[in-house]
Amino acid sequence: MAVDTVIQSPGVAQAAPARRHRPANRRRLWPFLLPSAIVSFCILLFPLGYAVYLSFFNYYLDSGASTFVGFGNYADLLGDARFWTSLVRTFAIVVSAVGLEFCAGLAVAWGLYRLTVGVRTLNLLMFLPHIITPVVAALFLKWIFAGRWGLLDSILAGLGIFPPDWLGDPMWARVTVVLADAWQFTPFMILVLYAGLNTVDQSQIEAAQIDGANGRQILFRIMLPSIRPLVAFVLTMRMMDAFRYFDTIYVLTSGGPGSATETLTMQTYALAFRLFQVGKASALGVLTLLAVLLLAAILIFTIGRSKEKSA
Amino acid sequence: MASVQISGIEKHFGGTHVIRGVDIDIDDGEFCVLVGPSGCGKSTLLRMIAGLEEADEGRISIGTRVVNEVPPKDRDIAMVFQNYALYPHMSVRENMSFALSLARQPKREIEQRVARAAEILGLGPYLERFPRQLSGGQRQRVAMGRAIVRNPQVFLFDEPLSNLDAKLRVQMRTEIRELHQRLKTTSVYVTHDQTEAMTMADKIVVMRGGVVEQAGAPLELYDRPVNTFVATFIGSPAMNLLPGVIGALRGGQVVLEGGASLPLPAGSRAEEGQKVLYGMRPEHCSVGSTGLPVEVAVVEPTGADTQLYCRFHGQEVTATVRDRSDCRPGDRIVLAPDPARAHLFDAATGQRLAA
Repeated sequence: MAVDTVIQSPGVAQAAPARRHRPANRRRLWPFLLPSAIVSFCILLFPLGYAVYLSFFNYYLDSGASTFVGFGNYADLLGDARFWTSLVRTFAIVVSAVGLEFCAGLAVAWGLYRLTVGVRTLNLLMFLPHIITPVVAALFLKWIFAGRWGLLDSILAGLGIFPPDWLGDPMWARVTVVLADAWQFTPFMILVLYAGLNTVDQSQIEAAQIDGANGRQILFRIMLPSIRPLVAFVLTMRMMDAFRYFDTIYVLTSGGPGSATETLTMQTYALAFRLFQVGKASALGVLTLLAVLLLAAILIFTIGRSKEKSA
Repeated sequence: MASVQISGIEKHFGGTHVIRGVDIDIDDGEFCVLVGPSGCGKSTLLRMIAGLEEADEGRISIGTRVVNEVPPKDRDIAMVFQNYALYPHMSVRENMSFALSLARQPKREIEQRVARAAEILGLGPYLERFPRQLSGGQRQRVAMGRAIVRNPQVFLFDEPLSNLDAKLRVQMRTEIRELHQRLKTTSVYVTHDQTEAMTMADKIVVMRGGVVEQAGAPLELYDRPVNTFVATFIGSPAMNLLPGVIGALRGGQVVLEGGASLPLPAGSRAEEGQKVLYGMRPEHCSVGSTGLPVEVAVVEPTGADTQLYCRFHGQEVTATVRDRSDCRPGDRIVLAPDPARAHLFDAATGQRLAA
């Protein structure tokens, strides 16, 4: 194809910065924000501030004794091997659970996306585990994973497989805790990812089909990058949630066997309500918050920031 | 490059019969425009050529190969979508090279082809930009660039200029036509805009209700529309259609409702007493002394010519006068159609009455 003419391009579109309309009397709007600001302060900022305040005291709940120790609680925790073990364990459980939920959620969401009939019914059925209260769900799971007489053991025994001690063996207890979280929160992941996949412009998918992309390439090279901010959002939300993972572990293993499933929140609970070291527990809470913030920031900056914006 | 043959195509969406036995032959290197009102099935037909919709019946061939069962990626076609369908997370370069990288073409080959397409379309300075950083016209160029780099046998365009403003649309129209003249790739172009169809096509296919009303060269459709639908769809302003009967006593005349008589269009054949529609294009009427007595309602000067919107016995009649007109609303004038360029249709069937 011999081409000798260059078609001239018009000038680059100059994107004028959008100016927000600012009402002259913005101060009059403050009363409207006040009720929600008061509620936010009472139930969010005050407890948080109070927890930070308590973390600087050696405060015992049983005796009521309280002495200012500065960063003493933090120094104690950071020098305690149990804290580091819990942190690593929590991190491992969070990464495994959220990773499993994302992979399973994406696979099911992709399946639902390609399905033409029965999507709504399937979606509803799959969302059921997420509707159940975590403690109730944990009780169900305890019956399923219970040694010898549990549902899973019965099935495996019926198949001639000798089942492991799901809740008694340290390694299997961690696996069970991860599976329990995945069972409950994969539906949320499915819902969000399925909704996200449906927002991708159909003509982009058709263009990719014509370009020669197969289903896998369309998913990973066109659709997922298109919903990158949503992926970052759902992973961050679930990560923050999983860091607070408490209720199901409390019912299933209570952090055991030994401290095999003791996460940071389980350790915080033990410090506050078993050892009554409220000051130290508050310091641990603050450290957990910092760890979550750090991870969330990493996730948002690595996944959430699209190439497009950085260009 | 290849020809495209469409024969006996039928398509249903649920209970709706959207394509009803369509046959179209598009020659190698031809620029074919499918035109028609919304819902006429033109986009569905294009999507069937692309392989994005399956035909219920009939056969679609590209070159010598029947492609009904061939997936879109193996049809050797490229498509430009109405909303461009650019991948937002990819740069212009990545958008244009995506198909080639999927086909595992050598890197150097990809670079060369992208550079050549960018040069043709004047996209060189924008290769590292992302779609959102481009104007509508530039995005449309990228979409075309994505099609060009693949060097396909057939280009498919699905209303590619609909999202552009009027001025840019006219500019892009010329660019697409110019591109086709250089690349000579068989192209199928869908639009609802008859001006686009007239200016761009080698062949126009006018569709309505899932059937082809007429296919042919633009001027053939303009000069010899087979029915009143094509007659009024092609040409702007639309052709005037005036009901009348073939005069019994005055042979060779059409007596219009209201009493006026007009000479029988050249080459038309009708029986005395037959109810007809007399068709005259606004641009083929002149202000004269014998013909259609009308009252001027609105005068619209456009600079190059003047549109006269007139009334004849309750019916609107439009005339385009090349010269500047001194007519005023309320004036009574006589419009004289050119019998050599007038048309006659059967009032009952709407079909052309030609010898």
